[in-house]
Amino acid sequence: MAFGAPRGGRGGSRGGFGGDRGGRGGSRGGFGGARGGRGGSRGGFGGDRGGRGGARGGARGGARGGARGGRGGARGGARGGAKVVIEPHRHAGVFIARGKEDLLVTRNTAPGESVYGEKRISIEEPSKEEGAPATKVEYRVWNPFRSKLAAGIMGGIDELGIAPGKKVLYLGAASGTSVSHVADVVGPEGLVYAVEFSHRPGRELIGMAKKRPNVIPIIDDARHPQKYRMLIGMVDCVFADVAQPDQARIIALNSHLFLKDQGTVVISIKANCIDSTVDAETVFAREVTKLRDERIKPLEQLTLEPYERDHCIVVGRYIRSGIKPKN
Amino acid sequence: MAFVLTETAAGYALLKASDKKIYKSSTLIEDLNSAEKVAEQFKIHRFEKFQSAASALAEANSIIEGKVSDNLKKLLEDVKNEKKATLIVSETKLGNSINKLGLNFSVVSDAASLDLHRAIKEFLPELLPGLDDAALKQMSLGLAHSIGRHKLKFSADKVDTMIVQAIALLDDLDKELNTYAMRCKEWYGWHFPELAKMVVDSVAYARIILTMGIRSNASETDLSEILPEELEEQVKNAAEVSMGTEITDIDLENIRALADQIVDFAAYREQLSNYLSSRMKAIAPNLTSLVGELVGARLIAHAGSLTSLAKAPASTIQILGAEKALFRALKTKHDTPKYGLLYHASLVGQASGKNKGKIARVLAAKAAVALRYDSLAEERDDSGDFGLSVRAKVESRLSALEGRDMRTTSKIVREQPKVDITEARAYNADADAPEVAAAADSDDESEAEEEEEVKPKKEKKDKKEKKEKKDKKRKREEDDEEEEVKPKKEKKEKKDKKEKKDKKEKKEKKEKKSKK
Repeated sequence: MAFGAPRGGRGGSRGGFGGDRGGRGGSRGGFGGARGGRGGSRGGFGGDRGGRGGARGGARGGARGGARGGRGGARGGARGGAKVVIEPHRHAGVFIARGKEDLLVTRNTAPGESVYGEKRISIEEPSKEEGAPATKVEYRVWNPFRSKLAAGIMGGIDELGIAPGKKVLYLGAASGTSVSHVADVVGPEGLVYAVEFSHRPGRELIGMAKKRPNVIPIIDDARHPQKYRMLIGMVDCVFADVAQPDQARIIALNSHLFLKDQGTVVISIKANCIDSTVDAETVFAREVTKLRDERIKPLEQLTLEPYERDHCIVVGRYIRSGIKPKN
Repeated sequence: MAFVLTETAAGYALLKASDKKIYKSSTLIEDLNSAEKVAEQFKIHRFEKFQSAASALAEANSIIEGKVSDNLKKLLEDVKNEKKATLIVSETKLGNSINKLGLNFSVVSDAASLDLHRAIKEFLPELLPGLDDAALKQMSLGLAHSIGRHKLKFSADKVDTMIVQAIALLDDLDKELNTYAMRCKEWYGWHFPELAKMVVDSVAYARIILTMGIRSNASETDLSEILPEELEEQVKNAAEVSMGTEITDIDLENIRALADQIVDFAAYREQLSNYLSSRMKAIAPNLTSLVGELVGARLIAHAGSLTSLAKAPASTIQILGAEKALFRALKTKHDTPKYGLLYHASLVGQASGKNKGKIARVLAAKAAVALRYDSLAEERDDSGDFGLSVRAKVESRLSALEGRDMRTTSKIVREQPKVDITEARAYNADADAPEVAAAADSDDESEAEEEEEVKPKKEKKDKKEKKEKKDKKRKREEDDEEEEVKPKKEKKEKKDKKEKKDKKEKKEKKEKKSKK
């Protein structure tokens, strides 16, 4: 980190998400009046807000939304928590909250607390048994401006490798903001090994991990995976957001030691951190070649526009026996 | 006989391979791709459980360092009575340490056995009786937390964080002090606008407000502690004829509160800067004697810690702080910057024109050496002598450079550093009184001290000149305090320096004469 890669820098863009969506049921009544006022302009969004999940036809939703605009105020007050509907995302463990606008959310494994000041949404889920009271489930909003993984999901990444029950090695965990969401996705059956070298964010990482038993914090240099070999078993997926010039090497070292054969590698590449003299595409291409040399078969490459500039996510599959040459 | 040593979060496991030459197999991946195959190949021979969380932490730390702990040694000794056996270890460093024990093992720790370790890691719960996945997870969770806490608690670079925080606070204080002082002058200026022109120093300005209060008190207040005689006279005269508005007591009370803050802040800043310099002298004495406390502290703060700065090459140190310019230059294929934070070092400041870049390069190279000495030397003396000797080299280079360029610099400037160096060497060899050592350092502060020594000799000279000098000297000291960052003041400083050097020459000539 000769020039201190600007890690903390991406917090600023948080505002990109409509500040308060009144997602938490209880506190919503108060907003009623104000919401009614702007109702008209919101028409296109939030077709399903009424609580009937699933049936979100584009045209129908639009029409309904428009009609609703006028009386939004009155309704908001009356129908408490029925405003946001949670739908499962294509990737298991990730959810979409359909409200005023669509949000990426994960199911909070440590309910009642935000990790980094993100919004939480509480939803009542009817219990499976007859007569038992409905259980409250809490979801946390995953901001794609703050997390590159979320940005990748928003961008339509095809394969994630992170799913319920999976074991994930997360390199470059920083303060554990994204890690907490990954921990939500893998759930209590899964496991996240979060590696971070710097002590200052490491402090926060350990604090976060205390509340989540499925996160194992490791304060060590990812360049020397042998130093934490005692703590780690074989994993299904390696996610790396290390932003170092030699990141391909770092990822390879860790994959060789800990990643199962046919495991997934997900890497976020920041072009500027690797080589600032050539254009981003060249840097990405070079990194992909490096990965190929390290037995990681690239599957897809995805730009993180509009959330990050000159970033991309590369997904690959680790093939222990080596990639067979083309032709 | 072939054994595999596996370190887990729960304890050491020694597995016995049924195939002696398993590690030489070229088809390891296929041989060990299922739980059954692995279970067939390896049988648990010994499992040495960690007794407690504390012992697990100690064991983990010795593994991290590649050392053989007592427990591991015992485990290995118990096994050795069999015939010459092969021991497969996952890490080379640990393998070497085991080899050094002199046990009857041939240790294998090469990359070829990686697949073997991968297979064992993957099916570990099947191999270890009574240790399922959940238990193992619990163990590593506990161990990871205690290792992490241990790491944070005994963080190696915690001494330099003090410097990093102190220098950051110093900058914050300067900024804050400046805004407060501006506000104070603006506010009190309505009452006594002439004062701001006469008293430039903001602390003196604040102290005048505190002692004098309303300007009509000027004639009966004694300002001699704050201002030189002549200026005091001027202030008193100006107070009589001021064109400022009247203010009430309650207005004054509030202005006073602000002035109080400024004086307090200035005192605190002074104290903090003393703390910083003492810290710097303890942590990086050689860097400090080469580039000064402030620049040294800024460099450390920029790199994050002393060790990471010491690992940086000289070229990085040279342009540390000029990243924006560097990356812009790299992108546009222009010339990269010549200096970053180092620009504020006194040695670079002394160089002129093109030589600034050259001296910055030389200084960066020497700073890198001094830094490595500070950070990595096994037995380091805290005197900073090494830094001084390196500084002497940079100074001689500086004088050589400036000497070639006759037209732009005067003779005095050219010869000045040379004289300094010889003095420094001679006195250092004697390990004489601390005064002399200070004189060797051509930092502004020590020069000021020298000046004081000079003064009594020149007492005969008329008083007017002396007063002017005093005034200037005070100003310069303030400038030093407020750091060289402000480019506006640089000109003034240069002027002062020239005068000083003139004086020094005279002094030296006198001394020579007296010696003769």
